[in-house]
Amino acid sequence: MSWIRRRWTAAEADFWTKEDYLTFIISPLVYVLLMIGTALSLFLLWYGFFLLGTGVILMLVMLWIIDPKLKAVSEDYEAKQKHYLEDLEKIARWED
Amino acid sequence: MVHFAFLDWFWVIAFILLMTVCGVLFYKLGKRSMADFFLAGRGLPWWLPATSVYATHTATDTPIWVSGVVYQHGLRGLWYTFFSAWCAISAFASTRIFRRSLAYTQAEWQTLRFSGLGAELLRGWIAGWQVFMNMFILGWVGMAMGKLCNYLFGWPQWVALVLFSTICAVYVLAAGYWGVVMSDFQQGVIAFLVIVIVSLWGIGVAGGPHGIVAKLSDMGQSWRLNPFAFSGLTGGDFPLVWFLTMLVIAVIGGFGMGTAIDWYPEAQRIQSAKTVRDASYSIWSGTALIVTRNSIWAVAILGFFVLFPNIQETAQYEMAWYRIGFEYLPAGMVGLFFAAIVAIHLSTISAHLNLGASYATRDLYHHYFKPKATEKELVWVGRISTFILLIGSFIYGSMIKEITQWLIFALWIMAAGIWLPSILQVVWWRFNSWGYLSSWVANLGLSWLVVWILPEFHLLPVLPDYLQFWIMMVLGGLVYLPITFLTKPEDMDRLVKYYVMSRPLGWWKPVRLEAERRGLVALRAGAAKGGD
Repeated sequence: MSWIRRRWTAAEADFWTKEDYLTFIISPLVYVLLMIGTALSLFLLWYGFFLLGTGVILMLVMLWIIDPKLKAVSEDYEAKQKHYLEDLEKIARWED
Repeated sequence: MVHFAFLDWFWVIAFILLMTVCGVLFYKLGKRSMADFFLAGRGLPWWLPATSVYATHTATDTPIWVSGVVYQHGLRGLWYTFFSAWCAISAFASTRIFRRSLAYTQAEWQTLRFSGLGAELLRGWIAGWQVFMNMFILGWVGMAMGKLCNYLFGWPQWVALVLFSTICAVYVLAAGYWGVVMSDFQQGVIAFLVIVIVSLWGIGVAGGPHGIVAKLSDMGQSWRLNPFAFSGLTGGDFPLVWFLTMLVIAVIGGFGMGTAIDWYPEAQRIQSAKTVRDASYSIWSGTALIVTRNSIWAVAILGFFVLFPNIQETAQYEMAWYRIGFEYLPAGMVGLFFAAIVAIHLSTISAHLNLGASYATRDLYHHYFKPKATEKELVWVGRISTFILLIGSFIYGSMIKEITQWLIFALWIMAAGIWLPSILQVVWWRFNSWGYLSSWVANLGLSWLVVWILPEFHLLPVLPDYLQFWIMMVLGGLVYLPITFLTKPEDMDRLVKYYVMSRPLGWWKPVRLEAERRGLVALRAGAAKGGD
């Protein structure tokens, strides 16, 4: 799956890319499958287990796609956070 | 009336003591600063805000509402609860952007995204509206508990409203958001376990999974097992167009901020997470739990349906899940069930007490009244605001019958005319504060016209809610789009600062180019393609 990028520098991860857009598509689908799959599985219907299983697998795929990028964004951003918080306080205190 | 054995009371009292003491234990952390009192110091791992998201959105009236739609519609009724799916996209889009802004509240975010008088007006309006709404929700949820305790013990309704909200206020006043999130964790775990136990018990009582399916088939009600049992394209009580409208509102709404009423408590949980990644996972997984919980409830409620299929009164069948617990659990377990209901209730009350106080303290007192206030003073203002919200909730609770219709109207306002502007403010650089402000004002007038006034004078038929939504979206656009283009764009310095900090999604090219020209962000050529 070299089509999915899993190594990011902080600067690269700041841009919105196909990994994000794929997540936007998969994520609602996972919720739908979890919701319907759970209900039908509790009725012990085979297609309920199939839908629930598909939902869990898609959730893992989604995390596999987006997690490296979120890590890169987070690590870089935390380094800048202190400076940004100082700016935020200036706005709250009308010093900006 | 329900009879409690000694063991039942033991569960209830032990749990209330455990929860209150656990909350108060964090007193020392809560009093350190405003960031601690309202955001737990912005240092929480994802699973703590996640359980808080789940616990906050499991209120006393939630099983009543879910019982109502599932008893009426079967599994397709689950789509009425699917509005929470806005978090599916939000967790990876607007949550990420909002977490990077570092705003304490959605009101504060307006002054980071926009500038000048328009931004200040927006901040003041949203802050005031949120103080009011949180007080209102506290009264609403408090009265739901009042009604339940009236049904269980025959107490006057005000007793449970005052009693449980006051118990909850003890740890919210002492430890602020630290108390909220720590007690939410244990409340969330207990509530989820008990929801599973009671629902499985109900399924068993109704004949087990196969028994329920067989009975539904015998009754000619198998369609209730189909989540896609539409009544037609536009007609009937569950048309396809309603479903598609709901999906658009819920899913696409995740690109915006404030597209759902639940955004505001979620915003606080987003900022309390220690990293952007933690914020994303907290919102996503908390909502995944909510979606799963609704399904567990739904199966038990269908079990109730096969036991009592002919209930006509809404108020009766809305109690389906509670009746399973109180009528079928053995002695000793009923107390555990009630303790879980107390957990469900207190997690919602504590969240809204602290959230409303954060808007009153950070956005109104600190920003407008005393910008130079010390941290100690701000924590105390937080406590006083919490107390005022508590008293206000008692007053609203006592008026709730008369104003329920107003609340529904207020929530409808939130969903319709400002849905698209709430997305535009996140994804489109040219959308300015005057455009957003005018959408709020226009929506207030238009919703009155479309929902009440024009139908009253027979100038417009009474429309189904999905049509009202689309009409109000188009009419609102005729107001805020011209205003946006007739007024100046936001100050470029502010936009660049916001862009560098938050890296928003969507149409931000002029701002990005300016940020690149100033050397504040990496050149796009070296990065992956996409975005604007």
